[in-house]
Amino acid sequence: MTNKNTEISTNSPGHPPAGLPDVPFSSNGIRLSPREAIVAVIIVVVLFVLIPKCWCLLEKFEPSADYRVPYDLSSDYWFYERCCRWAADRYETFVIGDSVVWGHYVPPDNTLSQHLNRIVGSNEFANLGVDGIHPVALAGLIKYYSRSISGKNVILCFNPLWMTSRKHDLQTEKEFHFNHPRLTPQFIPKIPCYKDTSSQKIGIILERNVHFLSWASHLQQISYDNLPPSLWSIEHPYGNIFHGAGIETSADLDTTASESGTDFPQTSWQDRGLGSQDFPWVELETSLQWRFFCEAVETLQKRNNTVFVIVGPFNEHMMKGDSIKAYEEIKKGIGTWLKNNNIPYYLPDSLPAEYYADASHPLSKGYALLAEQLCREESFPLSRTIHLEDSVAATPTIIRCLEKTAWGKTPPYKTIFR
Amino acid sequence: MMFQNWIFLPFFLVAYAVYLAVKRTRLKNLWILIVSYVFYGWWNPLFLLLIGYATVFDYIMAALMEAGRRKKLWLTLTVVNNLALLSFFKYGYFVTENINLLLEKMGSSYAVELSGILLPVGISFYVFKSIGYIVDYYRGNVEREKSFVRHAVFVSFFPLLLAGPIERAGNLLPQIRNTPRLTPQDIADGFSLFIVGLFKKVALADCLAVYVDKVYSVPDEYKAPALLLATFAFTWQIYFDFSGYSDMARGVGRLMGFRIMLNFNHPYLAVSIGDFWHRWHISLSTWFRDYLYIPLGGNRGGSFNTYRNLFLTFVISGLWHGAAWTFVIWGALHGLGMVLTRSIERSTIYKEKMPKLIKQILVFIFVSFAWIFFRASNWDDVCLIITRIFSSGLADPMFPLLFVFLIMSVWLYQFAYESPAQRFLNLAPVRITAVIMMIFYLAVCVGSTGQAFIYNQF
Repeated sequence: MTNKNTEISTNSPGHPPAGLPDVPFSSNGIRLSPREAIVAVIIVVVLFVLIPKCWCLLEKFEPSADYRVPYDLSSDYWFYERCCRWAADRYETFVIGDSVVWGHYVPPDNTLSQHLNRIVGSNEFANLGVDGIHPVALAGLIKYYSRSISGKNVILCFNPLWMTSRKHDLQTEKEFHFNHPRLTPQFIPKIPCYKDTSSQKIGIILERNVHFLSWASHLQQISYDNLPPSLWSIEHPYGNIFHGAGIETSADLDTTASESGTDFPQTSWQDRGLGSQDFPWVELETSLQWRFFCEAVETLQKRNNTVFVIVGPFNEHMMKGDSIKAYEEIKKGIGTWLKNNNIPYYLPDSLPAEYYADASHPLSKGYALLAEQLCREESFPLSRTIHLEDSVAATPTIIRCLEKTAWGKTPPYKTIFR
Repeated sequence: MMFQNWIFLPFFLVAYAVYLAVKRTRLKNLWILIVSYVFYGWWNPLFLLLIGYATVFDYIMAALMEAGRRKKLWLTLTVVNNLALLSFFKYGYFVTENINLLLEKMGSSYAVELSGILLPVGISFYVFKSIGYIVDYYRGNVEREKSFVRHAVFVSFFPLLLAGPIERAGNLLPQIRNTPRLTPQDIADGFSLFIVGLFKKVALADCLAVYVDKVYSVPDEYKAPALLLATFAFTWQIYFDFSGYSDMARGVGRLMGFRIMLNFNHPYLAVSIGDFWHRWHISLSTWFRDYLYIPLGGNRGGSFNTYRNLFLTFVISGLWHGAAWTFVIWGALHGLGMVLTRSIERSTIYKEKMPKLIKQILVFIFVSFAWIFFRASNWDDVCLIITRIFSSGLADPMFPLLFVFLIMSVWLYQFAYESPAQRFLNLAPVRITAVIMMIFYLAVCVGSTGQAFIYNQF
């Protein structure tokens, strides 16, 4: 019952070795010789290297000075890396953290970095915050996607919100969806609530290390609604699958959080009807989030970044019961660790209650006040080429602050003071 | 663990590195056995108990056959034992469900209970492989494998374990016994086969599955065009899925120096139903031919007996595919098709006068129609889908153009490959470009996939 009608590929170079059956190779012609296979692999490797680089030339990226990573691209780490490279050429200081830095309830020009820029009178501070990035993921973001800012100044923001419960601290055994799982450790150390399959985890590790794969993920995010093209084509059956090649610009994407809308009503947490809470804080010693925040700091220091840490400002007005005391303990512990490690930091008191939108996010006025408070802080550094006479914020306080500026023990760059 | 999952990559890299180191030593087969059991146990370690039992039982029976006179008794025991395993684990629910239905119809309130049975993946494949070996030994076609480790490797060789091909002892055992001679061409072949298989599975089958699943999950919400296209899409999905697995299995085998039989050969270019079964799941159709159709009498004993044997073989083949009446009917349909068209296909008019393309299209339509029974969740859905295909009117099927492009590309490739244009397709730049494009498409368009192979469930 052998089939005589069909032609099966036996395009083998010679017969099989003695003792082995002479089975047909395949029913198609896609059979490579060893040399051809090597050529194919080399071409694939070259394409994998070149395509992401060429894409940067094709995809226009001309962001404004108050640019922040678009909300919809929060999980596009290839794009984040590109933002870092862009910012590294233009800025000296990068503000990195979660939605508090990113500015969840405020427009792009009212974030912490923009208020600092206003104070110093020039664009010195870049907003490299990512909405929803908790410290465990932040450590991954810095480790894998922020190499281009090595040697620069970094203001790293720690939001204690991530320690307000075991769930926020990712310590629960029960699986739940949390932000940015692709940035967290995949196998070691184990994140108890993270239960993706081993295959998915290996895929993520490869994506982090093979630039082309993270570019492919970027392509899916900007062109195919964050879906593989096959799934996208189910949603858009007659859509042009190659529309991504028409490349608009990622910089034009909306940089507002979807729930904020575009008008950013500056409504305080009280007006939004949020009540006080007794947060079941996680102890600092056992906190995963804090442990990874420390790791992020260490990674930056190893890369010769000069790090300044801001803790909070958490909305202490929202706390009640024992949680106030527990929070004080945490702040104390954080301060001790930073001090022991010679890391300049600022542990602000709570802003006025009406300056908060929720437990941790300031409103525009809150950011303005925080920026001013920061500048009063003795350990806080400011930029090298500030022409204070031109600065709208050249108040005696600021001048005093500038005169005392120091990043750690040694200022990383010369500051022109009057 | 499946070939297309990332976890297979580190598993295979480790397994392969050690294999290369020990392939000339006595540890070779022991190592293959260990990795095969790890591969299989990854699904569920309990499955190892079953495959272990089947392996030990068959090994002892073969030894008894060699030592004693009651060869036929030991053969019968082995076949019964293997079929009993298959029946219990695969058909347990099916049988009890039907018994309960019958009892209910007879007015009885008694119901047989059966719960907690796992269906071990790939059981149909290794059980058939084992039966094939023991029958071949009984017939004197192969020698008994005296080494238990080699016998166990034959049963559980990991590339073939989950979904075949159902390789024959006469082909596989000598390769297990010998030291593999791995040439650079074997590695290039393994690479080529694996890439093509991965592309078929991940880029094509899983892609089509999205549309098919959407439509077939709620067929009453779709009209004729969508149901028709989903049926054609499934026709291709199952081909890409299963032949993709076979290609990958053969590729992994080739990387280790094993030459595994061809399992698919452009089935949708078949010019008759008989031809289709020469091209589709070749290892299974030849298994049924050798171990069921011929023992039943084959084409000896006149037309009636031949048709009866053919029909029975296909019905049983349908049942092998799944424990549901829809699978039985799918098999019966093919059996009926074979019986009804056998004479026509052998006529001069059909063979010489009818254009090849018409024959191919007719076979394709018949096979696609039969797949409805295979894919639909139950008998009610089958009726609903067929009725709606012919009577529900028109509506935009929302069938992605991308899928049309992919299917047509493959089909045209196959047509071209079975034509004089094959010479062009065999040019080195065409082959290299095809491989590069497949890798590129996989890397760009497909994330990690979790879709199981359709044939794993059999």
